Amino acid sequence: MSVEFRKDLFADERDDDLNEIGKPTQRQDMLGHVTGRSPFYDDHLFEGLLHMRCVRSPHHHARIRSIDTSEAERLPGVKKVIVGSDVPNNLNALLSLLDFGLDDEPLLSDKKVSYKGEPVAAIVADSERIARDAVAKVRVDWEVLPHVLDVEEAIKPGAPSVNGAYPANKFIYHGKYDHQKLRYGDVDAALRQADHVIEGRYQMSPIEQAPMETCGAIAAPETNDRFVCYTATQGLFFSLGTAAKLLDLSSARLHFIGGTVGGGFGGKVDSLHEPLAILGCMLTGKPCKYMFDREDEMQVGAPRGAERWYITDGVMNDGHIVARKFIGYFDAGAYTRLSSYAIIKGAGHLPGPYTIPNVYADIYCVYTNRTPATAMRGFGITGVDFAIENHMDKVANTVGIDPIELRILNAYRDGDMKAHRREAKNTALIECCQVAAEKSGWQTSDWVKQQSSLSGGGGERGQLPTHTATDQHGFVQDGQSGSYGGGSKRQEKSAYAETAAARAAPPAAAPPLRSMPVAQPPTQPARTPEPVQSAPAPAPATGPTAEPPQPQTRRSPARFSSISGLRRR
Amino acid sequence: MPVRVETFSQVEEAARALSSNQKARIYGGGTILMRSVNEGDQSFDTLFRLTDPTLKDIRSEGDRVLIGAAVTMAEIIRHRDLSFLADAARAVGGPAIRTTATIAGNLLAPPPYGDLATALVALGAEVRFAGQGSANVPIDEFMRDRESRKGSVVTAVSVPRLADPTALRFLKVTRVKPKGVALMSIAALLPRAGGRIDGFRIAYGNMGPTPLRVAAVERALEGSSLDEAGITRAAAVATEGLDPPTDALASAWYRREVAPVHLRRLLLGQTG
Repeated sequence: MSVEFRKDLFADERDDDLNEIGKPTQRQDMLGHVTGRSPFYDDHLFEGLLHMRCVRSPHHHARIRSIDTSEAERLPGVKKVIVGSDVPNNLNALLSLLDFGLDDEPLLSDKKVSYKGEPVAAIVADSERIARDAVAKVRVDWEVLPHVLDVEEAIKPGAPSVNGAYPANKFIYHGKYDHQKLRYGDVDAALRQADHVIEGRYQMSPIEQAPMETCGAIAAPETNDRFVCYTATQGLFFSLGTAAKLLDLSSARLHFIGGTVGGGFGGKVDSLHEPLAILGCMLTGKPCKYMFDREDEMQVGAPRGAERWYITDGVMNDGHIVARKFIGYFDAGAYTRLSSYAIIKGAGHLPGPYTIPNVYADIYCVYTNRTPATAMRGFGITGVDFAIENHMDKVANTVGIDPIELRILNAYRDGDMKAHRREAKNTALIECCQVAAEKSGWQTSDWVKQQSSLSGGGGERGQLPTHTATDQHGFVQDGQSGSYGGGSKRQEKSAYAETAAARAAPPAAAPPLRSMPVAQPPTQPARTPEPVQSAPAPAPATGPTAEPPQPQTRRSPARFSSISGLRRR
Repeated sequence: MPVRVETFSQVEEAARALSSNQKARIYGGGTILMRSVNEGDQSFDTLFRLTDPTLKDIRSEGDRVLIGAAVTMAEIIRHRDLSFLADAARAVGGPAIRTTATIAGNLLAPPPYGDLATALVALGAEVRFAGQGSANVPIDEFMRDRESRKGSVVTAVSVPRLADPTALRFLKVTRVKPKGVALMSIAALLPRAGGRIDGFRIAYGNMGPTPLRVAAVERALEGSSLDEAGITRAAAVATEGLDPPTDALASAWYRREVAPVHLRRLLLGQTG
């Protein structure tokens, strides 16, 4: 399949004298892969290699009354049975390395399990078969607890508490809210004035990355009291840092070797194998391998998390969307991993590539008794895009406008203000729609063909709303979210409670809607399209991140500020 | 404990040894059993390997063909007297699997496997066991109490020789293209006598705990000449009396929804 480069588009904004960008380039590992010579971590052979298998929970949610490993330890060939108390620092959150989120997940659980397949012990043995036989001989006395598998059930009062660090099953954002807010303009006022209010509910499923090479690592003693670790990880230094933290080792004692990943797609960043393999090596003095088999990969390997979105649009008869409201639930599974970060990404993406003057979002990172979710290609974005684009079709149907025209009518253009208060640059939705319509033989009007991302944006469209309705609902007293947000790090748990008084401060009286000069809708042919003009550079946006304006008492550094993307040259 | 392998040159001898050893399993092609070995299945510790050459026989017995239990999918596909079974055998796995997977293994395979077994049900095959001479068990009966036959050893499968190989139609429905695990399979025996078809046998795989016949569809088709009206009547009762499973491949609802569509395509010969 050949790639067609549309260099006619935005030609004056691009240098074409670059050596790599814009040119098809063969991957450097392709020859090794197709000839079967690429060395993967499992191709490294060690004399006397030991094998590791985990004892896993058969329950979605259960307390561990006791673990009896004596019979397993007596099995010939078993070198060590590792339990939670053997892990030097048995609590971690992947995002703690980014200073975001409380430590909430043990490497080997010793008090309770919160998802089916959660590991509670690891067997190190002479062969994989012996390790498996020993797993079958570990006796765990479970006290089965009620479980919850649905995001909205999980946040109801009285739902089973999944995650000890977040007992209400909701991640705490910025140390103060039980959800991520996005407030831009006044959605409720705009909905009241809209000709149509169009609602939709969209549900995604978890998706397993399913790499051909299952996750794994081999650790071996090295000279100078170090450990070498061959790993399939996608994030070598991320895994090194995670292992150093869980094992309470100086990272200088860890020598990580990666480089060939047999399929990753986001599923090899969770860094569970490296610390356990190294721990097995530390406790036995022998090389130790820990790898998922295919069943583990599917059942325990962290997937892209499921998302549920409710979207409410306020739409005028001419197709202009004047308000868009999101209520989103990310299913993090039992532990945070990377889900809280996915939501921050998602919030910066709303309301999709459209210029809508009033946008509102409450996005919840919810803990359920499912396999923890993690990264997968565009996580935080792909799911809500599925919801948004389905909803655009629903709006087009309801209002009776061609779906391509509806998208172009509402598309963001260079110089527009986005809901997270950054100026839109490098916009290209209009051109994408035009090319997609052309390639698929979709009949479009002349108006569609005349539109351009370079014109019609900015001006009033580049201004912040004159009024943004804010609220305090979901406020959490004494919330902690690590040092990010002002709390102190390594909290044992975050004691917090919602107070009734903190809920829903009454909104201020709604001011008139900001008028939106936009490209003329095709349904009103009497009005001539605006002349094509180069958009004057609007004043750079100076707003904070996707948080509602707050009193000046706390001004945390604007993290995640890079989500507004790159500038056009 | 490592898994032991014992070799038997006489199938009857293996059958006797199996009846006194709960922790032994017969190793056929190994495509299902070796997965359990790799996963450390604790329910068995011994594999019986059978080298009895009679298990590899394919021979005529009157108007039927007797297929030894250890005959592989690839051998069925290659055999000129079994061309009517080739489509179903080819639906199983890839070349490596078909080179080792056996007909008896397929008869006993749990869902979602058993594509060939579905065709054998439609065909009206019979199953022969070690220690029972040439007494055959009809396949409907075999499937009905398949679980309770654990511990006995299948030696051969007897199938009617089809004069017209196209009288057996087979369709494997997968959600992965070109080939994945069957969310259902359909086999239809449509023997022509003059202008009409007499003695329809329709079987589904993965629409219940074992491959099974679909009596409602057979009744609806009886006496029809596979015209539009007859097929529409059959499709309307495509899942009558069935309790299709919900599993990772599809929900029971989905199976009920798509079964009539695929049945209709198969009967119309539109499965391309």
